[in-house]
Amino acid sequence: MAKQTFTTGQVLTAAQMTSLQQTAMGGGSATAKTASYVLVAADAGTSVLMNSASSTTITVNTALFAAGDTVYIQNLGAGVSTITAGTATVNTSASLALAQYEGGQLYFNSTSDAIFIKGAGAAAASGGMTLLSTTTLTGASVTLSSISQSYKQLYLVFKNYLPATSGSYLTLNINSDTGTRYYAGDVYGQGAGTYTFNRTFFYMTSGAHNTVTQMTGFATFYDYTNTTTWKMATVSTFNNDATTSTSLRQNLMTEVFNQTGAITSLTLQPSSGNFTSGTILLYGVN
Amino acid sequence: MTKSIPQVKIVNCETGQEIVRDATAQEIAQMDAIAANAQEAQAEAEAKATAKATLLTRLGITAEEAALLLS
Repeated sequence: MAKQTFTTGQVLTAAQMTSLQQTAMGGGSATAKTASYVLVAADAGTSVLMNSASSTTITVNTALFAAGDTVYIQNLGAGVSTITAGTATVNTSASLALAQYEGGQLYFNSTSDAIFIKGAGAAAASGGMTLLSTTTLTGASVTLSSISQSYKQLYLVFKNYLPATSGSYLTLNINSDTGTRYYAGDVYGQGAGTYTFNRTFFYMTSGAHNTVTQMTGFATFYDYTNTTTWKMATVSTFNNDATTSTSLRQNLMTEVFNQTGAITSLTLQPSSGNFTSGTILLYGVN
Repeated sequence: MTKSIPQVKIVNCETGQEIVRDATAQEIAQMDAIAANAQEAQAEAEAKATAKATLLTRLGITAEEAALLLS
Protein backbone atom coordinates (compact mmCIF):
# COMPACT_ATOMS: atom_id res chain seq x y z
CA MET A 1 0.00 0.00 0.00
CA ALA A 2 1.40 3.39 -0.96
CA LYS A 3 2.02 5.87 1.85
CA GLN A 4 -1.25 7.40 3.08
CA THR A 5 -2.20 10.50 5.03
CA PHE A 6 -4.76 9.40 7.58
CA THR A 7 -7.26 11.67 9.24
CA THR A 8 -8.71 11.61 12.74
CA GLY A 9 -11.67 9.26 13.01
CA GLN A 10 -11.05 7.62 9.67
CA VAL A 11 -12.34 4.04 9.48
CA LEU A 12 -10.03 1.65 7.65
CA THR A 13 -11.47 -1.16 5.59
CA ALA A 14 -10.37 -4.77 5.96
CA ALA A 15 -8.65 -4.57 2.55
CA GLN A 16 -6.69 -1.49 3.64
CA MET A 17 -5.62 -3.20 6.88
CA THR A 18 -4.54 -6.31 4.97
CA SER A 19 -2.53 -4.18 2.59
CA LEU A 20 -0.92 -2.24 5.46
CA GLN A 21 -0.04 -5.49 7.18
CA GLN A 22 1.52 -6.82 3.99
CA THR A 23 3.62 -3.66 3.60
CA ALA A 24 4.67 -3.77 7.27
CA MET A 25 5.90 -7.33 6.75
CA GLY A 26 8.21 -6.15 3.99
CA GLY A 27 6.02 -7.32 1.14
CA GLY A 28 3.27 -5.48 -0.64
CA SER A 29 1.68 -5.87 -4.00
CA ALA A 30 3.90 -5.03 -6.93
CA THR A 31 2.88 -4.47 -10.50
CA ALA A 32 5.73 -5.62 -12.72
CA LYS A 33 7.36 -2.93 -14.87
CA THR A 34 8.47 -4.32 -18.21
CA ALA A 35 10.41 -1.22 -19.31
CA SER A 36 12.54 1.48 -17.70
CA TYR A 37 10.60 3.32 -15.00
CA VAL A 38 10.68 6.71 -13.30
CA LEU A 39 9.62 6.53 -9.64
CA VAL A 40 6.51 8.52 -8.67
CA ALA A 41 5.34 9.78 -5.28
CA ALA A 42 2.81 6.96 -4.97
CA ASP A 43 5.66 4.44 -4.93
CA ALA A 44 6.61 5.49 -1.39
CA GLY A 45 6.22 2.49 0.90
CA THR A 46 5.65 0.04 -1.95
CA SER A 47 7.62 -2.54 -3.87
CA VAL A 48 8.59 -1.83 -7.48
CA LEU A 49 9.08 -5.04 -9.41
CA MET A 50 11.12 -4.96 -12.63
CA ASN A 51 10.66 -7.76 -15.14
CA SER A 52 12.36 -7.31 -18.51
CA ALA A 53 14.67 -9.44 -20.61
CA SER A 54 16.53 -6.26 -21.62
CA SER A 55 18.45 -3.82 -19.45
CA THR A 56 16.26 -1.24 -17.70
CA THR A 57 16.68 1.76 -15.43
CA ILE A 58 14.76 3.03 -12.40
CA THR A 59 15.15 6.78 -12.25
CA VAL A 60 15.01 8.68 -8.95
CA ASN A 61 14.00 12.34 -9.00
CA THR A 62 13.74 15.02 -6.34
CA ALA A 63 10.67 16.50 -4.59
CA LEU A 64 8.63 13.30 -4.72
CA PHE A 65 9.56 11.60 -1.45
CA ALA A 66 9.92 12.79 2.13
CA ALA A 67 12.77 12.03 4.53
CA GLY A 68 12.20 8.53 5.92
CA ASP A 69 10.27 7.24 2.91
CA THR A 70 11.33 3.92 1.47
CA VAL A 71 10.79 2.10 -1.83
CA TYR A 72 11.70 -1.56 -2.21
CA ILE A 73 13.02 -2.46 -5.67
CA GLN A 74 13.42 -5.97 -6.96
CA ASN A 75 14.41 -7.39 -10.31
CA LEU A 76 12.76 -10.55 -11.56
CA GLY A 77 13.85 -10.23 -15.19
CA ALA A 78 17.00 -11.42 -16.95
CA GLY A 79 17.93 -7.84 -17.94
CA VAL A 80 19.98 -5.82 -15.45
CA SER A 81 17.94 -3.08 -13.72
CA THR A 82 20.03 -0.09 -12.73
CA ILE A 83 18.93 2.51 -10.21
CA THR A 84 19.80 5.83 -11.78
CA ALA A 85 20.02 9.22 -10.15
CA GLY A 86 17.78 11.54 -12.13
CA THR A 87 17.55 14.89 -10.37
CA ALA A 88 18.04 13.24 -6.96
CA THR A 89 21.27 11.90 -5.49
CA VAL A 90 21.57 8.17 -4.87
CA ASN A 91 24.46 6.71 -2.89
CA THR A 92 25.28 3.10 -2.11
CA SER A 93 28.10 0.98 -0.73
CA ALA A 94 27.20 -1.72 -3.24
CA SER A 95 26.27 -1.60 -6.90
CA LEU A 96 23.21 0.22 -8.20
CA ALA A 97 22.84 -2.51 -10.82
CA LEU A 98 20.41 -5.29 -9.93
CA ALA A 99 20.93 -8.59 -11.67
CA GLN A 100 18.09 -11.07 -11.93
CA TYR A 101 16.55 -11.90 -8.52
CA GLU A 102 18.45 -9.13 -6.76
CA GLY A 103 16.71 -6.41 -4.81
CA GLY A 104 17.15 -3.74 -2.21
CA GLN A 105 15.68 -0.79 -0.37
CA LEU A 106 15.86 2.82 -1.43
CA TYR A 107 15.80 4.98 1.71
CA PHE A 108 15.33 8.74 1.44
CA ASN A 109 17.39 10.93 3.76
CA SER A 110 15.68 13.97 2.32
CA THR A 111 13.54 14.90 -0.65
CA SER A 112 16.61 14.99 -2.85
CA ASP A 113 18.96 12.43 -1.36
CA ALA A 114 18.59 8.67 -1.09
CA ILE A 115 20.72 5.68 -0.20
CA PHE A 116 20.31 2.25 -1.75
CA ILE A 117 20.77 -0.73 0.54
CA LYS A 118 21.24 -3.84 -1.52
CA GLY A 119 19.54 -6.75 0.16
CA ALA A 120 18.81 -10.42 -0.17
CA GLY A 121 19.68 -11.94 -3.48
CA ALA A 122 22.69 -9.70 -4.00
CA ALA A 123 25.59 -11.31 -5.82
CA ALA A 124 27.70 -13.32 -3.42
CA ALA A 125 30.92 -11.58 -2.44
CA SER A 126 32.79 -14.82 -2.94
CA GLY A 127 31.97 -15.14 -6.64
CA GLY A 128 29.44 -14.91 -9.38
CA MET A 129 28.83 -13.56 -12.84
CA THR A 130 26.51 -10.70 -13.74
CA LEU A 131 25.30 -10.20 -17.29
CA LEU A 132 26.05 -6.55 -18.16
CA SER A 133 25.05 -6.50 -21.81
CA THR A 134 23.72 -8.65 -24.65
CA THR A 135 24.43 -6.93 -27.96
CA THR A 136 23.83 -7.73 -31.61
CA LEU A 137 26.76 -7.03 -33.92
CA THR A 138 25.64 -4.56 -36.61
CA GLY A 139 27.16 -1.80 -38.70
CA ALA A 140 30.90 -1.22 -38.91
CA SER A 141 31.64 -1.24 -35.17
CA VAL A 142 30.00 -1.91 -31.82
CA THR A 143 31.16 -0.22 -28.62
CA LEU A 144 30.23 -1.38 -25.11
CA SER A 145 30.60 1.79 -23.05
CA SER A 146 30.17 2.79 -19.38
CA ILE A 147 31.35 -0.62 -18.23
CA SER A 148 30.80 -1.01 -14.49
CA GLN A 149 33.97 -0.91 -12.37
CA SER A 150 32.41 -3.12 -9.68
CA TYR A 151 33.86 -6.47 -10.75
CA LYS A 152 37.21 -8.26 -10.72
CA GLN A 153 37.19 -9.48 -14.34
CA LEU A 154 35.28 -9.02 -17.56
CA TYR A 155 34.17 -12.08 -19.50
CA LEU A 156 33.12 -11.54 -23.11
CA VAL A 157 31.27 -14.30 -24.97
CA PHE A 158 31.07 -14.42 -28.78
CA LYS A 159 28.41 -16.16 -30.82
CA ASN A 160 28.27 -16.54 -34.59
CA TYR A 161 30.39 -13.57 -35.68
CA LEU A 162 29.79 -13.17 -39.42
CA PRO A 163 31.62 -10.43 -41.34
CA ALA A 164 30.35 -9.02 -44.63
CA THR A 165 33.87 -9.28 -46.05
CA SER A 166 35.31 -12.78 -46.23
CA GLY A 167 38.55 -13.22 -44.30
CA SER A 168 37.91 -10.36 -41.88
CA TYR A 169 39.22 -10.80 -38.36
CA LEU A 170 37.08 -9.76 -35.43
CA THR A 171 39.15 -7.05 -33.74
CA LEU A 172 38.82 -5.40 -30.33
CA ASN A 173 40.03 -2.05 -29.03
CA ILE A 174 40.16 -0.90 -25.42
CA ASN A 175 38.90 2.56 -24.44
CA SER A 176 38.66 3.55 -28.15
CA ASP A 177 42.47 3.49 -28.33
CA THR A 178 43.62 2.56 -31.84
CA GLY A 179 47.28 3.39 -31.35
CA THR A 180 50.04 0.84 -31.96
CA ARG A 181 49.81 -0.31 -28.35
CA TYR A 182 48.67 -3.92 -28.68
CA TYR A 183 50.62 -7.17 -28.77
CA ALA A 184 49.30 -10.63 -29.55
CA GLY A 185 51.18 -13.79 -28.61
CA ASP A 186 50.08 -17.39 -28.84
CA VAL A 187 49.02 -19.00 -25.61
CA TYR A 188 52.27 -20.94 -25.27
CA GLY A 189 54.26 -17.72 -25.23
CA GLN A 190 57.05 -16.58 -27.49
CA GLY A 191 59.89 -17.47 -25.17
CA ALA A 192 62.58 -15.11 -23.99
CA GLY A 193 63.19 -12.25 -26.33
CA THR A 194 62.36 -8.68 -27.03
CA TYR A 195 58.99 -8.00 -28.52
CA THR A 196 57.27 -4.84 -29.52
CA PHE A 197 53.73 -3.59 -29.36
CA ASN A 198 53.08 -3.82 -33.08
CA ARG A 199 49.31 -4.04 -33.46
CA THR A 200 46.53 -1.49 -33.30
CA PHE A 201 43.97 -4.02 -31.96
CA PHE A 202 43.44 -7.35 -30.20
CA TYR A 203 42.56 -10.36 -32.35
CA MET A 204 39.32 -12.01 -31.30
CA THR A 205 39.15 -14.41 -34.27
CA SER A 206 41.11 -15.51 -37.30
CA GLY A 207 39.87 -14.62 -40.80
CA ALA A 208 36.23 -15.71 -40.94
CA HIS A 209 33.86 -16.96 -43.62
CA ASN A 210 31.28 -14.41 -44.74
CA THR A 211 28.23 -16.62 -45.34
CA VAL A 212 28.52 -19.53 -42.92
CA THR A 213 29.09 -19.26 -39.20
CA GLN A 214 29.06 -21.48 -36.18
CA MET A 215 31.66 -19.23 -34.55
CA THR A 216 32.03 -19.53 -30.77
CA GLY A 217 34.45 -18.41 -28.08
CA PHE A 218 35.26 -16.08 -25.23
CA ALA A 219 37.76 -13.54 -23.94
CA THR A 220 38.69 -12.75 -20.35
CA PHE A 221 40.07 -9.40 -19.21
CA TYR A 222 41.87 -9.63 -15.87
CA ASP A 223 41.88 -7.00 -13.15
CA TYR A 224 40.43 -4.53 -15.61
CA THR A 225 39.83 -1.73 -13.10
CA ASN A 226 43.40 -1.31 -11.87
CA THR A 227 45.26 1.77 -13.01
CA THR A 228 48.87 0.62 -12.61
CA THR A 229 49.40 -2.33 -14.96
CA TRP A 230 49.09 -3.12 -18.66
CA LYS A 231 45.75 -4.68 -19.56
CA MET A 232 45.80 -8.31 -20.58
CA ALA A 233 43.28 -10.65 -22.17
CA THR A 234 43.21 -14.33 -22.94
CA VAL A 235 41.16 -15.21 -26.01
CA SER A 236 39.92 -18.59 -27.16
CA THR A 237 37.69 -18.72 -30.24
CA PHE A 238 36.88 -21.00 -33.15
CA ASN A 239 35.44 -19.79 -36.45
CA ASN A 240 34.69 -21.10 -39.92
CA ASP A 241 37.61 -20.78 -42.31
CA ALA A 242 37.26 -17.91 -44.78
CA THR A 243 37.82 -20.14 -47.82
CA THR A 244 36.44 -23.51 -46.78
CA SER A 245 33.56 -23.00 -44.37
CA THR A 246 33.60 -26.62 -43.25
CA SER A 247 37.16 -26.17 -41.99
CA LEU A 248 37.88 -24.33 -38.79
CA ARG A 249 40.25 -21.67 -37.58
CA GLN A 250 41.45 -21.53 -34.00
CA ASN A 251 42.50 -18.37 -32.21
CA LEU A 252 44.14 -19.08 -28.85
CA MET A 253 45.97 -15.96 -27.79
CA THR A 254 47.34 -14.06 -24.86
CA GLU A 255 47.22 -10.40 -25.70
CA VAL A 256 48.38 -7.28 -23.94
CA PHE A 257 47.65 -3.56 -24.27
CA ASN A 258 50.38 -1.26 -22.96
CA GLN A 259 48.18 1.33 -21.25
CA THR A 260 47.37 1.36 -17.52
CA GLY A 261 43.96 3.06 -17.37
CA ALA A 262 40.96 1.05 -16.22
CA ILE A 263 38.93 -0.51 -19.01
CA THR A 264 35.71 1.45 -19.40
CA SER A 265 34.81 0.56 -22.98
CA LEU A 266 35.39 -2.19 -25.55
CA THR A 267 34.99 -1.67 -29.29
CA LEU A 268 34.57 -4.58 -31.69
CA GLN A 269 34.77 -4.36 -35.44
CA PRO A 270 35.67 -6.53 -38.43
CA SER A 271 39.16 -5.82 -39.76
CA SER A 272 37.42 -4.87 -43.00
CA GLY A 273 33.83 -3.96 -43.88
CA ASN A 274 30.68 -4.40 -41.80
CA PHE A 275 29.21 -6.99 -39.49
CA THR A 276 26.54 -9.15 -41.07
CA SER A 277 25.49 -10.68 -37.77
CA GLY A 278 26.64 -12.02 -34.42
CA THR A 279 26.01 -11.59 -30.71
CA ILE A 280 28.25 -10.65 -27.80
CA LEU A 281 27.49 -11.02 -24.11
CA LEU A 282 29.50 -9.10 -21.51
CA TYR A 283 29.65 -10.40 -17.94
CA GLY A 284 31.17 -8.89 -14.82
CA VAL A 285 32.88 -11.57 -12.74
CA ASN A 286 33.59 -11.55 -9.00
CA MET B 1 28.46 6.88 -56.80
CA THR B 2 28.37 7.99 -53.16
CA LYS B 3 30.21 5.78 -50.68
CA SER B 4 27.91 4.95 -47.74
CA ILE B 5 29.08 6.13 -44.33
CA PRO B 6 29.88 3.27 -41.90
CA GLN B 7 27.47 2.98 -38.98
CA VAL B 8 28.68 2.64 -35.40
CA LYS B 9 26.65 1.26 -32.50
CA ILE B 10 27.36 2.39 -28.95
CA VAL B 11 25.77 0.51 -26.05
CA ASN B 12 25.75 2.03 -22.57
CA CYS B 13 26.18 -0.97 -20.27
CA GLU B 14 24.86 0.96 -17.24
CA THR B 15 21.57 2.04 -18.81
CA GLY B 16 21.18 -0.34 -21.75
CA GLN B 17 20.72 2.63 -24.08
CA GLU B 18 21.83 1.96 -27.67
CA ILE B 19 22.86 4.67 -30.12
CA VAL B 20 23.41 3.92 -33.82
CA ARG B 21 24.93 6.76 -35.83
CA ASP B 22 27.22 7.57 -38.74
CA ALA B 23 30.91 7.12 -37.98
CA THR B 24 32.85 10.36 -37.59
CA ALA B 25 35.81 11.15 -39.85
CA GLN B 26 38.14 10.25 -36.98
CA GLU B 27 36.39 6.89 -36.46
CA ILE B 28 36.57 6.13 -40.17
CA ALA B 29 40.30 6.91 -40.12
CA GLN B 30 40.70 4.58 -37.14
CA MET B 31 38.80 1.81 -38.98
CA ASP B 32 41.08 2.29 -41.98
CA ALA B 33 44.14 2.11 -39.70
CA ILE B 34 42.91 -1.15 -38.19
CA ALA B 35 42.25 -2.57 -41.67
CA ALA B 36 45.77 -1.57 -42.78
CA ASN B 37 47.33 -3.10 -39.66
CA ALA B 38 45.31 -6.30 -40.19
CA GLN B 39 46.52 -6.51 -43.79
CA GLU B 40 50.07 -6.03 -42.58
CA ALA B 41 49.59 -8.86 -40.05
CA GLN B 42 48.11 -11.06 -42.77
CA ALA B 43 51.10 -10.37 -45.05
CA GLU B 44 53.50 -11.21 -42.21
CA ALA B 45 51.68 -14.49 -41.53
CA GLU B 46 51.73 -15.41 -45.22
CA ALA B 47 55.45 -14.59 -45.51
CA LYS B 48 56.12 -16.76 -42.46
CA ALA B 49 54.12 -19.63 -43.98
CA THR B 50 56.00 -19.31 -47.27
CA ALA B 51 59.38 -19.29 -45.50
CA LYS B 52 58.34 -22.37 -43.52
CA ALA B 53 57.26 -24.21 -46.71
CA THR B 54 60.54 -23.28 -48.43
CA LEU B 55 62.57 -24.60 -45.50
CA LEU B 56 60.60 -27.87 -45.40
CA THR B 57 61.22 -28.36 -49.12
CA ARG B 58 64.93 -27.72 -48.64
CA LEU B 59 65.04 -30.22 -45.77
CA GLY B 60 62.98 -32.71 -47.72
CA ILE B 61 60.49 -33.36 -44.91
CA THR B 62 56.79 -32.71 -44.43
CA ALA B 63 55.21 -30.37 -41.87
CA GLU B 64 53.96 -33.43 -39.93
CA GLU B 65 57.50 -34.85 -39.83
CA ALA B 66 58.85 -31.50 -38.65
CA ALA B 67 56.19 -31.40 -35.92
CA LEU B 68 57.18 -34.93 -34.90
CA LEU B 69 60.80 -33.85 -34.56
CA LEU B 70 59.81 -31.02 -32.24
CA SER B 71 57.35 -33.02 -30.10
